[in-house]
Amino acid sequence: MSNDIFFLAEFADGAPQRSALELAAGATELAAASGGNVVALAYGPGAGDGAAGLGAHGVARAIVLRDDAAPAITAGPAAVEAVRAASPLAVLAPATPNGRDLAAALVGLADLPAFGPVRAVRVVDGIVETEQATLQGSVVTTSRPVDGAPQPSVVLVLANTFTPTEAGSGTAEVSRAEASDHPFTLATIVESHPADAAVVNLEEATVIVAGGRGIGSAEGFGQLDELAAALGGAVGASRAAADAGWVPYQLQIGQTGKVVKPALYIGLGISGAIQHRVGMQTAEHVIAVNKDPDAPIGEFADLFVVGDLFQIVPKLTAEIRRRKG
Amino acid sequence: MKIVVCIKQVPATTAEKRYTDDLRLDRASAEAIINPLDEYAIEQALRLLDAGTVDEVGYLSMGPEQAGEALRRALAMGGESATLVTDPALAGADEWATAAVLAAALDKLAPDVALMGMASDDARGSLVPGAVAARRNLPLLSYGAELALADGQARIRRLSPTGFDWIAAPLPVVASVTDQVGEPRYASLKGIMAAKRKPLDTWSLADVGLSAEDLRSGALTRVTDARPPEAKPPTERIENVSADEAAAKIADWLAARKLV
Ligand SMILES: Cc1cc2nc3c(=O)[nH]c(=O)nc-3n(C[C@H](O)[C@H](O)[C@H](O)COP(=O)(O)OP(=O)(O)OC[C@H]3O[C@@H](n4cnc5c(N)ncnc54)[C@H](O)[C@@H]3O)c2cc1C
Ligand SMILES: Nc1ncnc2c1ncn2[C@@H]1O[C@H](COP(=O)(O)O)[C@@H](O)[C@H]1O
Repeated sequence: MSNDIFFLAEFADGAPQRSALELAAGATELAAASGGNVVALAYGPGAGDGAAGLGAHGVARAIVLRDDAAPAITAGPAAVEAVRAASPLAVLAPATPNGRDLAAALVGLADLPAFGPVRAVRVVDGIVETEQATLQGSVVTTSRPVDGAPQPSVVLVLANTFTPTEAGSGTAEVSRAEASDHPFTLATIVESHPADAAVVNLEEATVIVAGGRGIGSAEGFGQLDELAAALGGAVGASRAAADAGWVPYQLQIGQTGKVVKPALYIGLGISGAIQHRVGMQTAEHVIAVNKDPDAPIGEFADLFVVGDLFQIVPKLTAEIRRRKG
Repeated sequence: MKIVVCIKQVPATTAEKRYTDDLRLDRASAEAIINPLDEYAIEQALRLLDAGTVDEVGYLSMGPEQAGEALRRALAMGGESATLVTDPALAGADEWATAAVLAAALDKLAPDVALMGMASDDARGSLVPGAVAARRNLPLLSYGAELALADGQARIRRLSPTGFDWIAAPLPVVASVTDQVGEPRYASLKGIMAAKRKPLDTWSLADVGLSAEDLRSGALTRVTDARPPEAKPPTERIENVSADEAAAKIADWLAARKLV
């Protein structure tokens, strides 16, 4: 058993995803408290080439699980081998579909305690302690492993729980995980349909302008693009807008979409259903524009504007452009 | 070809939730429903049944005796039979213990596809499907927007960072689906009547070959504190003003917080 803190580092095209940099920062914080080292478990296309670069973010060692374009779960057996060999104190995983699949492989194959998705994690007197909002955000709980639970604790961490550090100059020592042949490795991508246009990764946006059923059409989202551009942000949506086909599902925020935590969220023509709310309620600032004075979003927004979005949004965009000069 | 859908009974989304003195969710006091995301898994299974791709749909749940109601409701939507694993030793089971129990029960039921929802409303870990697949030594196909079965293979359509992929694995598999599979059907009156006569087995922990010791009192994790969320400052409202004025006030609000 060690005091090391492991984290799952997803790569695409040889570059660490934002979640990997966030968790590198989180693991560094935890390792300072536990007195252990920070170790990355790298997977995804180009992880082999990119892993050494994690050293610039405080990572001492990186273990490459897999670096092809196969589904993330195929890296599960290698993750289990790496974790079994080192028995670290904790493994941080991003609370994304891929991160959850790998965390589940660890929990199921190595009988480990699982936490999350958490909004805070720390090491207190050598024990992993997590903080989680459950039951649609109505309760906040603190959890720990039971006494004598096996190590490591597997912790699913929400996006933007930790802030990536500025890149320094270090290089991580890179090794390859032992290959292992659980049937998880049998999943293969048999067809790939990338979109024509690039889709932003909402979890990386610090400003999100989200539209709902009230936007009324795909063209209606054009004015959201303009407001988002004026604010330096990205466009998101409710499920109603994604279901209508106005925007791709990658932009959906909520229980079955992305969980986002931007500095600013602006909801336009969104009622604020509980399933949407759980995806954005931790945004630092929430503004909503809705023509219904009783819309539920008015109960939890910081600023609630009652009015017609089609009249207000173009004027707001112009006003912000004017003030920015 | 046989599908077993794993469904969890959860407190209704609107029900008031309480924690008991030992920091467990008080499931007795809340109105209980089928985990909404599991209804999509049921719908996916029944669509494959309607299409003749599978010839049997069953259900499996682990929970208190009350969870039998959720299984009856599922049977009213369609399918043949259901199994409830219930045992006093399972109170407070976490995702690790839940996965261990479901895996053992699924080994007995031996479906071609063990189908799950993408997450449970209360735990929201999305860990049970993968942990069950791990324990059962089977491939995992998770977060399917659609499930297809053909030629001894299961395939799911899954969102990728920009578009979508089809991911395949040889049967048997453990799979989970999202709310994109299509809206769940309602149970018809006829379905509700028929469900009363469908077989619903109840298994204990021993029936699936596990003991309370195997499950370490049901959990590797424990809640040490439960409290209401931090109170937010009251909402500021802008209403009954012109669009020009509203736009200017929003911009002022943003500027005051250095957001523009
Ligand atoms: C299992 C499950 C999972 C779900 N997951 C998600 C999820 O991940 N994300 C999600 O968003 N939803 C999710 N939903 C759906 C959710 O319950 C709501 O149905 C959905 O969020 C509603 O979207 P909306 O607010 O855009 O539409 P509506 O609820 O129809 O609200 C539209 C709003 O627009 C306002 N409006 C209309 N015109 C104007 C105008 N001109 N100016 C200003 N305001 C206007 C209306 O007053 C209204 O408040 C899920 C549901 C289920 C059952
Ligand atoms: N107690 C349970 N009984 C049956 N199925 C369950 C149970 N808990 C979780 N599941 C299944 O696992 C899925 C994911 O749950 P979770 O990992 O808790 O988010 C759910 O949508 C269900 O299909």
